[in-house]
Amino acid sequence: MFDLIIVRGSAAVCALSVAALLANVSESIFEVSTPGGLTFKHENSPTPNKHLIETMGGGVALLDYNNDGLLDIFLVNSGRIGLESKDFFDRGNPRYWNRLFRQNKDGSFTDVTAAAGLSAAGDANYGMGVAAADYDNDGFTDLYVTSYGRNILYHNNGNGTFTDVTAKAGVAAGGWSVSAGFFDFDNDGKLDLFVTRYLDWDLKHSKSCGVSPKIYCSPSEFPGTTSLLFRNRGGGTFEDVSAVSGIAAKKGKALGVAFADYDDDGFTDIFVANDGMEQFLFHNNRNGTFTERAIEAGVAFTDDGKRISGMGVDFRDYDNDGRPDIVVTDLARQNYAVFHNEGGGAFSSQTLQTGIAALTGNSSGWGMRLEDFDNDGWKDLFVAQGHVMDNVEQIDPAVHYLELPMLAMNREGRFERADSGASVPVAGRGAAFGDLNNDGWIDVVMTVLGGKPQIYRNRLGASKRNSAHWLTLALRGTRSNRDAFGARVLVNGQSQYVTSAGSYVSASDKRVHFGLGMATTAKIEIKWPSGLVQKMDDVRADQFLNVIEPQGPQ
Amino acid sequence: MIAALLMLLAWQAPPPEALEHLKTGADALNANKSAEAVAEFRKTTETAPNLPAGFVGLGQALMQSGDYQGAIAPLKRALELNSDLPGAEQLLGFALLAVGYANEAIPHLEKAQAIDALGVAQLKAGKFAEATANLQAALAKRPGDVDLMYYLGRASGLLSRQAFEELRATDPESARAHQILGETYAVLRNTAGAEKEYREALRLRPGTPGVHLELGEMYAGVSQWDKAEAEFRAESQLQPGDAEAAFRLGDALLQQGKVKEAHRELSRANDLAPGKADVLYALGKAASLDRDKAGAEKAWLAVIGIDKDGPLAGQAHFGLAGIYRERGDSAKSDAEMKEFQRLQRAKP
Repeated sequence: MFDLIIVRGSAAVCALSVAALLANVSESIFEVSTPGGLTFKHENSPTPNKHLIETMGGGVALLDYNNDGLLDIFLVNSGRIGLESKDFFDRGNPRYWNRLFRQNKDGSFTDVTAAAGLSAAGDANYGMGVAAADYDNDGFTDLYVTSYGRNILYHNNGNGTFTDVTAKAGVAAGGWSVSAGFFDFDNDGKLDLFVTRYLDWDLKHSKSCGVSPKIYCSPSEFPGTTSLLFRNRGGGTFEDVSAVSGIAAKKGKALGVAFADYDDDGFTDIFVANDGMEQFLFHNNRNGTFTERAIEAGVAFTDDGKRISGMGVDFRDYDNDGRPDIVVTDLARQNYAVFHNEGGGAFSSQTLQTGIAALTGNSSGWGMRLEDFDNDGWKDLFVAQGHVMDNVEQIDPAVHYLELPMLAMNREGRFERADSGASVPVAGRGAAFGDLNNDGWIDVVMTVLGGKPQIYRNRLGASKRNSAHWLTLALRGTRSNRDAFGARVLVNGQSQYVTSAGSYVSASDKRVHFGLGMATTAKIEIKWPSGLVQKMDDVRADQFLNVIEPQGPQ
Repeated sequence: MIAALLMLLAWQAPPPEALEHLKTGADALNANKSAEAVAEFRKTTETAPNLPAGFVGLGQALMQSGDYQGAIAPLKRALELNSDLPGAEQLLGFALLAVGYANEAIPHLEKAQAIDALGVAQLKAGKFAEATANLQAALAKRPGDVDLMYYLGRASGLLSRQAFEELRATDPESARAHQILGETYAVLRNTAGAEKEYREALRLRPGTPGVHLELGEMYAGVSQWDKAEAEFRAESQLQPGDAEAAFRLGDALLQQGKVKEAHRELSRANDLAPGKADVLYALGKAASLDRDKAGAEKAWLAVIGIDKDGPLAGQAHFGLAGIYRERGDSAKSDAEMKEFQRLQRAKP
């Protein structure tokens, strides 16, 4: 485990020197590799029938399941789609299993799926995504796997094994679930669960579109459905509050979900990325209910009033003004949407001004996150990319099925394309973010539809080409939920909302990372979900800092 | 046409039997009884072989029955007997055109002054310039005729192609010839091919008007906005009075978030060619992003005035709703959102 250091004292925060940092970054931040032991291959089983579901899977989670201080990787497989109805969604063969890879001290991985009790993915399931959190506050990260069919909650037993507790917990859901995330919507110290669902779809009503060429249908060909909210009652059980909370009042075509308290009222709100329709922003009414306010807040459509094919999403402050902003990835011929939080519950589209429009018009984005990859104090953007249609070039030669991921460096609020380190285009889908080797520099695990996952190892730390500093916090709630999801952390003027959710079908490292630029110390303020505010000054940079929520007022 | 047949009789003095057949045939023709009309007119031509009216009637009856090929001979015979029969000229022209003898049809249609069919015949005969002129004139007389619109579009397109082919044949290595090749590749969405040809055109004659614009449009089509900006800027420098170049430059700047410069260029485009909905919409957007909310409001209201129920109007209503929301005028904002949603629902 990381050293426990709680520091108090006066702040001595150095100013960032972005120019100095930029001078040292010329080649790619990342080295792309598949480390030893990471033997997974995603099986989406594409068929001539072109069922839309074939294009959507590829979940990944970065979690430290055995608390050894090293991030492990959980990869969601999809399954076999047979041509006969009885054969659909076979998961029995080990090639269709989800897989858990334990990270070894040398950076290699060992497949521990069977030993961990995770080999049974369930009959008639087609895997999609994963959420990771310690829902029962026992100190061990649990897993929630989404599927078309039955979702599974795996309880981490604390001894390297997991138990399927779905039935007891009451979170099987059903239908076509995609992304999911844990958060504490009622600040009761127990993590609740939000599950996006995509379409009201089944195999009997599946179809392909087009004749020559035959293509995957647009979601407009299928009706939407509702997402799900499960309230954690404690004792390992959840209550489906989708209806009473107001979540089920809105039918969407939901693929991505991210959480943040956008209006700073102390309660976590929900942004849902919908495909081909308006986006949803569920405002937390602080009484167990939500009101959908995307139109009023200015995040339902683009600044041209157009619908986007929302897929991945992050709800994070990109311009260091202290308020969480929203970035949504979507299909080519749209632009990834950037909604800047103006305060007062309103957002403005900043897709053009941030430079994102100029970078993304021909790209299709899925898993993504705003993270400070070069530790200059500004959150950059990494996006897993690739179009839905495997034959899109026949229809639009400028758009590609296989793409390189996008890395865009944040230069004081404006994004500039950078070399992601990848050279072979792939159909990117999920993306999880975290510091795999605990060197203070954020790495990425990206999944590939029908392919092997890729690890983007951040080599800035090892190469010493960059002299920027960093600070990573591991928060432990006491009155708040143990993962501290929903805590708002301010470090040297930057803000982060603690969550493992966001992206697309993925769960990231729950630790909170800050690039400090040239600053060697940090001033920290943590607003815990319990309402308690904790402040620390003059904290030394370049360390992993465990912070435990104080029992009393600070 | 039947009236014309009867008028022919006034000075031809045919035998009474022929007249009877002629009248019966005309009645049958009038009643759309084509077979009966054909039979009666045949009897007319047999009993009065020098009577043009019988041949005209026979030709018309055959055409009514769909036998255009069969109509040609009697109509020709009628004109041999009397060359001053505009109705017969028109029928013969139609019949010849219907079975593909466009060149042969043209003089008859010219004599009949049937400019619509003449335009079609000229189009089929490869006389695109003449066809375009006649079809334009015909469309002016019958606005909204979709067949005429189709033929006019086709004729002008082929005329354009013919002119380009002549240009290429005259000087295949000219800048304009390469520009045309670039356009062809661009239509085929062959970006690399188009880029190469456009570049060659510019190398051969750097100041060729329009090439930078087309190259920029191609880059814009594949979202390469920085390259598009450079080309539109070059076109604007060549042709500072060109509103299209100014608009495209403003749009490229806007796409890259260069808001202030985009605002200036789009204002210039609007000054050069006022009243264009697409320019005004983009101008409103640039103004809004440039914090000139009054300017944005003015531009978007103008869009709605021009394009009341179109997609740009919907977008303008959406933009206005945002402006009014920011001002705290929720009633106006809600009204604009309602209009936006109404137009969204009305979308095909």
